[in-house]
Parts: sequence; structure tokens; C-alpha cells
Amino acid sequence: MSVHPGRFVVVKGERLLGAFDSMEQALAAGAAAFGLQSFLVRRLGEKQAEVNIPALTLGLLRADPQHPAGRSGS
Amino acid sequence: MPILNIQLAAQDPSGNPIPSLVALQQRGPVVQVSVSVEQNIAQQLLAQGVPLPAPERGLALIDTGATSTCVDDAAAARLNLPAIDVVTIASASHASTQQNVHPIQIEVVGLPITISAPRAIAAPLAAQGLVVLIGRDVLQHCTFFYNGPAGSFSLSV
Repeated sequence: MSVHPGRFVVVKGERLLGAFDSMEQALAAGAAAFGLQSFLVRRLGEKQAEVNIPALTLGLLRADPQHPAGRSGS
Repeated sequence: MPILNIQLAAQDPSGNPIPSLVALQQRGPVVQVSVSVEQNIAQQLLAQGVPLPAPERGLALIDTGATSTCVDDAAAARLNLPAIDVVTIASASHASTQQNVHPIQIEVVGLPITISAPRAIAAPLAAQGLVVLIGRDVLQHCTFFYNGPAGSFSLSV
């Protein structure tokens, strides 16, 4: 990791395919080597960003707009 | 810079028109899209003579509350998309789950607007009538204007 900070690595199983300057290059290299099989792409030295999708986590996509929540005290 | 302008039109069950501002409030900013394999992957596959799965069409909801773009998990399976990572997301209905991350390309139907989402999270969106949830990872490259009183919105990439 200290050799390629900030670069995108492609890993399949225990095989490191390489380190690339951009996500696009990493995806192209992964597809060239593995086709539509799954492979891991990670940016070295970058903490995994927190995923926050309230519409999913709070179930808001299923909310019924015909029955809005009442105001406090109503 | 292509600009998408949409004013929602809808009807109630009796066939009476619903005002645009009400339609937009109820349905949200949705747009017809076509989802396919991310273009860098597609180019490699085509070079190898691998046939590409047919794109998935459906509605995309623009969600400024979401950090990440999501793709319907069933559509991702039909597209045979490779998983390039796994993330943990919470759910209101069950415990936190690990979801695959897929590289996708989103095209706005009928317009020359193509959006790359290299880290779209698989999620069960089909039940909501959606194929994609467009989050801030994509919106950081866009200008989005929501006109509530007019029941319209615009998106430029």
C-alpha cells in the first residue's frame, strides 16, 4: 500500500492484477483480465466512505404520501 | 452541456389530471433511464467478442439524500454485472446487510446524457418501481434544479 498510495488496485482472489491511476483504467484492466467475473477495485490509502442512503435505511421509499405524518400536537 | 428538463404529468385513478407540483411531490424527480455495463468494461468485453447483456430500462429517482447511487439488485443480476466491492448498508426492515457494488452506465432515454456510476450499490429497488437511485456520487458532477411550484426539475451533466 505504501508503494502505490492513491492508486486503484485490482485484486482477484489472492492475485494482485496491478495498480492504476484511475478507476476507469482499473475497471478496464479488470474486465480485460476477468471479463464479467467479479473482482475487487479499491483505492489505496483511502478510508472506506460511509454509505448513507436514508430512503433505503429508513424505508422512505415505501412511505405513503397519502398519509403524511401529523404535526406535533395535532 | 446537455440539459434535461422534466415537468411531471400524472392522472388519478379516475383519469383526472394531477397538477404537476402534486405529481412531483408524490413521485419525486424521476426520469426514464437505460442501465448497462460501465463503458470501460463494455469496451473490453466487445474487444474480446463477448456479447453485452441488453440494457435494463426503467425509472431513476434523483435522491439528494443518498451518498451513493444504487442499482436494482435484480437488474444487476440480469445485466450480469461484475461486483467490484462490498459495502454494508442498513435497512428499516431487517439487519444491516452487505451489498455488492457494481460499475454501471446510466443513459437518459431520448437524450444524449450518459452518466457513469462506477460504484453503484445493489439494492432492492424494483418494488418501488425504480431501477436506479441517483445519489450524490453522481450529482457531484451535475447541476440539479428542483422547481417545486412548477412541478418541474432540470438536470445537466
